[in-house]
Amino acid sequence: MKLIKAASAIALACSSSVLMAQTIDIQITNLTHAQHFTPRLVIAHDNTVDAFEPGVEATSALAWLAEAGVIDDAQNPASSGQNFEALLGPTDTDNTSNTWHRIDGLSAPSTTENYSFDTMDKSHLSILAMLIPTNDAFAGLDSIKIPTTPGTYTYMVNAYDAGTELNDELNSMRTDIVEQGGTPLGGYGAPGVAGAGASPVPLGVGGMGVAAKVGFAQDGTAIGANEVVDGTDGPVHIHRNVLGDTSLTDGASDLQSTEHRWLNPVARVTITIPAP
Amino acid sequence: MNMNKINLALLPLIAVLATGCGGDDGDNGATGPAGTAGVDGTNGSDGTNGNNGTNGNLAVFTVQLTNLTYGQPFSSAAVVLHEPGFNTFIDGEIASLGLEKLAEGGDPTELMSEALAATQYLDAVTTPGATAPRSIGVMSTLLVPLLDIDDLRISFTTMLVDTNDGFTGLNAANISNMTVGQTISFMAPTWDAGTEANTETASTMPGPAASAAGGGGASAGFDTTRDDLFDLVHFHRGVVTSANASDGSKEGLSTSILTEADRWDNPTARIVVTRTR
Repeated sequence: MKLIKAASAIALACSSSVLMAQTIDIQITNLTHAQHFTPRLVIAHDNTVDAFEPGVEATSALAWLAEAGVIDDAQNPASSGQNFEALLGPTDTDNTSNTWHRIDGLSAPSTTENYSFDTMDKSHLSILAMLIPTNDAFAGLDSIKIPTTPGTYTYMVNAYDAGTELNDELNSMRTDIVEQGGTPLGGYGAPGVAGAGASPVPLGVGGMGVAAKVGFAQDGTAIGANEVVDGTDGPVHIHRNVLGDTSLTDGASDLQSTEHRWLNPVARVTITIPAP
Repeated sequence: MNMNKINLALLPLIAVLATGCGGDDGDNGATGPAGTAGVDGTNGSDGTNGNNGTNGNLAVFTVQLTNLTYGQPFSSAAVVLHEPGFNTFIDGEIASLGLEKLAEGGDPTELMSEALAATQYLDAVTTPGATAPRSIGVMSTLLVPLLDIDDLRISFTTMLVDTNDGFTGLNAANISNMTVGQTISFMAPTWDAGTEANTETASTMPGPAASAAGGGGASAGFDTTRDDLFDLVHFHRGVVTSANASDGSKEGLSTSILTEADRWDNPTARIVVTRTR
């Protein structure tokens, strides 16, 4: 009996070390009603890499992902040196501490996609994607330990707020308002919700702002009547959900309370570790 | 039979032989001189080492809270390690006085007393003061006899102070048989104690949102009256707040002193338990 046990333990140890180098199947389901996911950042990594941590300030890489859906230079050259590519290294490469891939295209609400991912022997897995239309919400799978025993494993994913931008819920396509100082809305470092074009329902215009109000600084003092401040609300935390309202022409928000809201979880990730 | 007869016939002779030397006993001689002392024996071999001690027979656990909300401070928390059979609350049942005082006023004292009185009690601490929104809290340390770690539960209770009677935490979560160095991370939802109507007014909530509106503090927290729809613990439905109260949608609650910034989605707390010894 002892011999048999020892032999099977050795077999298990051998098979699991082989498995780690194998390609795993990742299935991602968007569970929201009307929020698209921007391109998904999939990272296999060791314990020196932490894409985000609740209670800790976001990196510029996370800000680019959560405010603009940008992961690498190819998506937006303006993000060069500040994005996850700068933080992690080249894509689809063994960067020693990590390997990562961008699953391109938008993931529509209530849809599922599959991706085969070579983890290159890394121990942990993180997946991030921005929710659009929002200011800086992202779905985040937070450094789960990659299983070594063959099987199927399911994880429910929550929506976090990167905390790098106030949730003004103002349509970035609007030109009647600008960032304080004159910069147009949208993109990393400027107010406004990205992704109006992707929304399955129209965004409103004319909203006066939710967490930041048009014409007022955070302390309530008046600024330019068509200006909105670009403040932060970090560190990273669970997103409190968009507020929205029921008007497409006025009210507080340019989002729709009847369509754009969600409750956690916002995504389901299923990982399949193949048999040896 | 013949053999027996022969043996019996020999008996007298044997008796004579046995006493044959006894006929002429003289006096005993005088006692001889004492002998010289023997040489010392060699030292014995060393004994085997005893088993290692068990560090006072205590396992040590650290517990750390992260407040995951945008704007809800958490009250001082009651952290209890215990055996199965004790619960700080049960969904669908009436809240204890201790839970009511914590969930309405943010005071864990009574709940700690209830835990201490339970036969399943092992150890408990309160976290020092409030845990701010979007922050990682102070680490607590608890001790449990090694004999008890094979069937161990943790209950963690803290109030969302800008609510009427909302709380988050863990309800007898299983942390049995953790190895030294092992960490378990829990994501926690939000409950409503069911002991107070969710009016969201300044005079009924203890936190800073109510203080800013002219109320708050201990007097606005705990109230012995139980005026919720049902006096039963249940999942929290979130706060309505005054957002959108004055626009055409009337989605908001105009009498609420809370704003959209006081809203949350679950999970509201992350609780990380590590066995350090």
